[in-house]
Amino acid sequence: MRTDERALHAYIDGEMDAAASLELEREMAHNPALRAAVDRLRELSAAVRAHADYHRAPARLRQPARRNVRTWALIPAFAAAVLVAFGAGFLLGRPAEDAALGDEVIASHVRATLGARLVDVASSDQHTVKPWLSARLPFSPPVEDFSAAGYPLAGGRLDYVGGQPVAVLVYKRRQHVIDVFVRPGGGESAAPAQARDGFNVERFARHGMRYWVVSDLNRQELDNFVALLAGASQ
Amino acid sequence: MLPHIDAAYNLARWLTRNDQDADDVLQEAMLRAFRFFGGLRGEARPWLLTIVRNACFSWLQANRPGDIELVDDDALESEASGPEALAAREIDRRRLNEALAALPVYLREALVLRELEDLSYKDIARVVGVPIGTVMSRLARGRRALAERLRPAAPAARLRVHK
Repeated sequence: MRTDERALHAYIDGEMDAAASLELEREMAHNPALRAAVDRLRELSAAVRAHADYHRAPARLRQPARRNVRTWALIPAFAAAVLVAFGAGFLLGRPAEDAALGDEVIASHVRATLGARLVDVASSDQHTVKPWLSARLPFSPPVEDFSAAGYPLAGGRLDYVGGQPVAVLVYKRRQHVIDVFVRPGGGESAAPAQARDGFNVERFARHGMRYWVVSDLNRQELDNFVALLAGASQ
Repeated sequence: MLPHIDAAYNLARWLTRNDQDADDVLQEAMLRAFRFFGGLRGEARPWLLTIVRNACFSWLQANRPGDIELVDDDALESEASGPEALAAREIDRRRLNEALAALPVYLREALVLRELEDLSYKDIARVVGVPIGTVMSRLARGRRALAERLRPAAPAARLRVHK
């Protein structure tokens, strides 16, 4: 007999249809060499499954808020963002996690404004943005439009900050872009605003969600926006 | 997504053959995965593995092009050595891992996706971006190459006897 060798693999992998399997089994019944070949294949497959190392992700890849400069450097935009983040010496004296997350949200903001991908869903309608984000995230971020106050909603995108998915709501103020990062979590209800190389960063927590607000908008107008946002989600 | 982080890491680790490199490639790949989350169709695991796989190959191309050893996917039928050449008795763990790590990357990839990730031929074809027939050829060649490497003190002469 000269069965295609690949057919034997399909058979032991359970990828052969029933009719062809039956035919092969009938053939094996009176062909000991073929049966032995199939048995050896099964044995090899079982050995790989039993003995080949399964490399589980190390704990550090599961933990939020860890940085790895070598990886960021793979992407020029990241490198720029990391320089921005490191350029200012704000990390001293801050809780490490918040400092790292602050860096990451600035990095994400810089990346989005430098690149073309400011929003994944472009809409000024909160009833479009919210379901779009909810459908792609394990939580449902509050979404509100503040056009009336001069801060129109431009859309939303998804990002990955501190090892977890976050919703990013994108607002506009004249030519300025305001990124609002939202993800579930508690924390200080309000924290001192920070400024890093022209970016203002504010963070607060409301109703089980943590917010980071990043923009190159001036502090006064950003404060007003944050007040609106914090009020809206109450 | 995070439930598949082990599968993602395992694939990156087997393709790069190094912890630090797998770590680096995976961080970038996970970031990309989240950036393009909107493009998610169907099952999450093959989709994520596709991104990780492509990130690994870009990385290999840039950093270790010598590791990307091309395989002739049409060569299988012309080879005389059939499944009779396979023998996998008394396999020890260390030898098996070494043998798998030493396989050409396309064959190693097919075996890791099939045996360690338990993907169907269809999903492997999707992750690797080749037709199912090519997946079958690579699995057959990969298993045969593995069996040959695992043969106890394989004297070449003995291999020939089976033909």
